[in-house]
Amino acid sequence: MNEMNENEFDDKLMQAAAGLAKEVRPENDLWPGIEASITSSQGEGGWQWRGMFAQAAAVILLVGGSSGLTYLAVHEDRNPAVPVAPVGALEFRPVSGSFGSHYNLGPDFQDARDDLESKLQEELANLSPETRAEVDKNMTAIRNAIIEINKALAEEPDNVLLQDLLLSSYRKELALMTRVDGMASSVMRRNDI
Amino acid sequence: MEALLATGTAESAREVVPVKKQAVQDEMHWVAEARDGNVAAFEALYRMQVDRVYGLCLRMTGNASEAEDCVQDAFIQAWQKLDRFRGDSAFGTWLHRVAVNVVLGRMRKSRREQDRMRAVSEVTPDRETIGDTGGLQDLEDAVNELPSGARNVFVLNAVYGYSHNETGDMLGIAAGTSKAQLHRARRLLAQQLNRNDGAA
Repeated sequence: MNEMNENEFDDKLMQAAAGLAKEVRPENDLWPGIEASITSSQGEGGWQWRGMFAQAAAVILLVGGSSGLTYLAVHEDRNPAVPVAPVGALEFRPVSGSFGSHYNLGPDFQDARDDLESKLQEELANLSPETRAEVDKNMTAIRNAIIEINKALAEEPDNVLLQDLLLSSYRKELALMTRVDGMASSVMRRNDI
Repeated sequence: MEALLATGTAESAREVVPVKKQAVQDEMHWVAEARDGNVAAFEALYRMQVDRVYGLCLRMTGNASEAEDCVQDAFIQAWQKLDRFRGDSAFGTWLHRVAVNVVLGRMRKSRREQDRMRAVSEVTPDRETIGDTGGLQDLEDAVNELPSGARNVFVLNAVYGYSHNETGDMLGIAAGTSKAQLHRARRLLAQQLNRNDGAA
């Protein structure tokens, strides 16, 4: 190497490098693993698409159903239905507005809520049985959620996430009552607590 | 240098088709088929290209089992990205780019370079020597000893003949960096081979 001119060495090095085998056969046939992967991913892709379609269908159903309910509730007064069941047949059991064991809803909110509740009962009598059943179902779901969140808050009264969740549930309850009663929405803020 | 493939009798000399051109046409046909989801066509492409892709992966990783993993990943990714291959370059070149990305990605994830279980020399068939330089017998091993940056550039540029622009593009470095790494590789190889020469 000492006698070898550096450039000459470089040239020989590059020539030798260019002459190195560019193709080397792997010891194992790798195709079966590749084939298994790409064929399974094709299947997974199908499932993914089917899953996405199912989700899209669920969203459409949910949005459609919700919109239908809203439409029925809002437009019920244009085609007033004859009451087919006594008002007392529907039994809502609204829980006392509270935030776990440490907090209570403000008096203004509680008054508005009570007012809406009484008007809701009056308006419900004018709704068709199907619409009333839907409202009942939605209201029950919201109020069950409120009960469960309150229970959880009793365990963790300072859990901010639970507090926000409860606040959001109360808002949904108010929104539903407002929609059915046709009343102006009552804005609820954190300082109502 | 292109060999010729006679597709007819001596009388039909006009039907003689260059082998290379024929191979490229076949390759494009298989690519089109594979793009439509034909797994058999993709297997044909695999058979055509696997030795070249494995050679590259083996030289870049320096480890046979790691190289096999890279080849598998590269072909799987190639299958998934086949619609992005527009034919601007040869399919083999595009596949090399995919393979280089796979190797670099795996290198980043783990530092397995340090734990090579099997040296390239165990599985690489033909050893090249540099003329009459005595101890400079094992270029393969010397390349394998290079640090990854210099080795990747040396393999792509000196062994596979990619330009510095192409090498830099594949490795995500500037062409100037590729030149610098090649210079570094040459210097390190000279030291390595000279040391071997002295020890012999």
